[in-house]
Amino acid sequence: MASAVTLGRLGRGARRGPGGPFGRRGRLSATALGGAALAALFAFPLLALVVRAFANAWRAPALLPQEYGTRGLKVAFSGRALEAFGNSLAVGVGVTLAALVIGWPAARVLGERRLRRPGLVFLCLAMPLLVPSYATGTGLTEWFLRLNLADTLPGLGLAHLVVVLPYCVVVLLSGFGPRVAELEEMGRTMGLGPLARFRLVTLPAVGPTLAAAAFLGFLVSWSEYGSSLAVGGGRPMLPVVLLPFVRNDPQVAAALALLFLAPAIAALVVTTRAARSPL
Amino acid sequence: MSDAALTCTDLTVCPGGNAVLRGLSFDVPAGSRTVLVGPSGAGKTTLLRAIAGLEPLEGGAIRLGERDLSRVKPHQRRIAVVFQEPRLLPHLDVQDNIALPLRAAGTGKGERRARARERLEEVGLGGFHERDVAGLSGGEQQRVALARALCAAPDLLLLDEPLAALDPNRREELRRLIVRLQEERSLTTLVVTHDRAEAAELGHRVALMLEGRIVQHDEPRALFERPVSAAVARFFGVANLIADGSGTLAIRPEHVQLDPDAELRAVVTEAVYTGSHVRLVLQAGPQRIEALVSPADAPAAGQEVGVHLPAEHLWRLPGGDGTKVR
Repeated sequence: MASAVTLGRLGRGARRGPGGPFGRRGRLSATALGGAALAALFAFPLLALVVRAFANAWRAPALLPQEYGTRGLKVAFSGRALEAFGNSLAVGVGVTLAALVIGWPAARVLGERRLRRPGLVFLCLAMPLLVPSYATGTGLTEWFLRLNLADTLPGLGLAHLVVVLPYCVVVLLSGFGPRVAELEEMGRTMGLGPLARFRLVTLPAVGPTLAAAAFLGFLVSWSEYGSSLAVGGGRPMLPVVLLPFVRNDPQVAAALALLFLAPAIAALVVTTRAARSPL
Repeated sequence: MSDAALTCTDLTVCPGGNAVLRGLSFDVPAGSRTVLVGPSGAGKTTLLRAIAGLEPLEGGAIRLGERDLSRVKPHQRRIAVVFQEPRLLPHLDVQDNIALPLRAAGTGKGERRARARERLEEVGLGGFHERDVAGLSGGEQQRVALARALCAAPDLLLLDEPLAALDPNRREELRRLIVRLQEERSLTTLVVTHDRAEAAELGHRVALMLEGRIVQHDEPRALFERPVSAAVARFFGVANLIADGSGTLAIRPEHVQLDPDAELRAVVTEAVYTGSHVRLVLQAGPQRIEALVSPADAPAAGQEVGVHLPAEHLWRLPGGDGTKVR
C-alpha cells in the first residue's frame, strides 16, 4: 500500500514537471493580462460614474469636469434616498429568500426531469415575464388596494416575487439532477436522517447553484422599476427615486447610481464566496 | 462482528412500474460473502436496492437477523452500500467523507476523525486523510467509499459492482482487500457483479439471477461444473451442450482433450490465441465443440484432430432442456 502512496505523489509531480515553472509563469501572465483588460472594460463606465457624481460643473466639450464637489451627494441624501435604499434592501432580501424556498420544489422536479411535459410548467413560470412588470404591477395594485397591501413592504414583496420567482427557479433547476439524487441515496444508506441529509449532502451539493440563483434573484428585485412604481406609491424604492434625476440632474443620478451599485457588488462578493466554499 | 443473516421472502419490486422481481426469495447466511451474479438487466441491482430500502416493496418481507426491515427507513436499516461509483462528497476531505456515518450518529469531531483514519489505514490509504477527494484516482476513491461503509459498522454490507470501473490490476487489489476486510469482521456481505470469474473469486456462495429469478444458488464450483440448466451452463461458460438421447450433456471447453487416437474426429474451423490459451472451434459432423488448449500443442485451422471427452467431466443437465447445438 506504501507503493500506492509514492506512486500517487510521483504522478502528481510528473504532471507538474513537463510544463515547468517557465511555462506556468507564461500562462499566468497571459491570464493576468486578459483579466486586466476585462476588468478595465467593466471599470471604465463605472469610473465615469464616479467622476460624474463628484462633478459640480462638467460642460460639454471638456474631457474633465471644471469643478468638483459633493453637491450631488448632498441633494441625493436630502431626499428619500436612504429610506428607498432601506426599502429596496428589505424587499430584495425577503423576496429572494421567499423565491428560493417556494421555487425549490419546482426547481427540483424540473431539474430531475420528472415531468412528462416540462414545457407547460415553464410556460406558466415564464408567463409573468412575458408581460411588462408595470402592467402586472398595476393589475396587482387594484387587488392590493382592496387587501390593504398597496403601499406596504409585503405588497411590494409580493409584486416583486412575481418577477423574481421564475428567474430563481430557472437558475436553481440546473443544480439538481442525477448527481444530487445519487449523493442523497448514499446519505440514506450511511444512516443520515432527512434533516442531516439536507444539511450535509443536499445543501452543499446544490450550494453553488443556490448562490447563483440568490444573486440573480436579488438583482432582479433590486433593479425592478415597473411594479415598484405601480405598487409602491408612497413607499419609495431606489430605482423609482433614481430615475427622475437621470434627465433633470445627472450629478445626483450618478451619486444615487453609486449607492445603487453598492449592495449589488456586495451580493456578488458574498455569493461567489458561498459558491466556492459552500457552507 | 455481525451475525445477522439476511432473509428475503417472496419479494415483489416494481421500479418505475415494471415488475422486475416477482415473488423472489433469497438469503445470505450470517457472516458469509454471497455473490449475486447475472447478465445486465437481470434485476440484480433492483434486488440490492430493495434490500437497502431504496426501492419500495410491493410485496414480501426482508429480515436481517432478528429485525423485520419491511417498514424500516433506509437510514435506520444498518445496511451500508458501496455503489459502482464512489459517490463521495466533493466539498469534504477524505477523512470527513469517511466519517459521514459517524456524523449521523452524533459522534464528536475528534473521535470521528480518529476512527476515520483507522478505516483509512485499513484500506491502504494511510496519510490520505486531508486530501481532496477530487484528486484521487478511481481506485483510491472506491477504497474511500469502502472505508466509509465500514465506518458505519453495518450489520450488512452491500457492494454493487464495486470493481466494474477499475482497470484489471486495481481490480485484483481491491478484490483482495474486500475479502480480507470481510473476513476480519465476518461481516455479512452481498456483492453484485456481472462477471462470472469475479463471482467465483469473491463468493462463498454464488446466486445466478436470470430475468428476475434466482436460478441456481450454490457454492461457486457447483455453478461452473454442475449447472442445473442449459441457461446456467451458458452463463458460466459451458460452451458445449451435446444432445444425448433425450437429455443433454455439458462439458467445459477447458476439459475437452485432443487425442490423435480418439474415435471422435473433428475439423478445426477456428483457432484464436487468447493470451493464455488457444480457443478452438471444432466441427465433428453436425456437432460444434469448443476447446481450450495450451498454445504449445494447438493445431492450426483446417487440420483434422481426434477429440476426447473425459467421462468424469461430462455433466448431464438435470432439466434436459439444453437446446440442440448446431
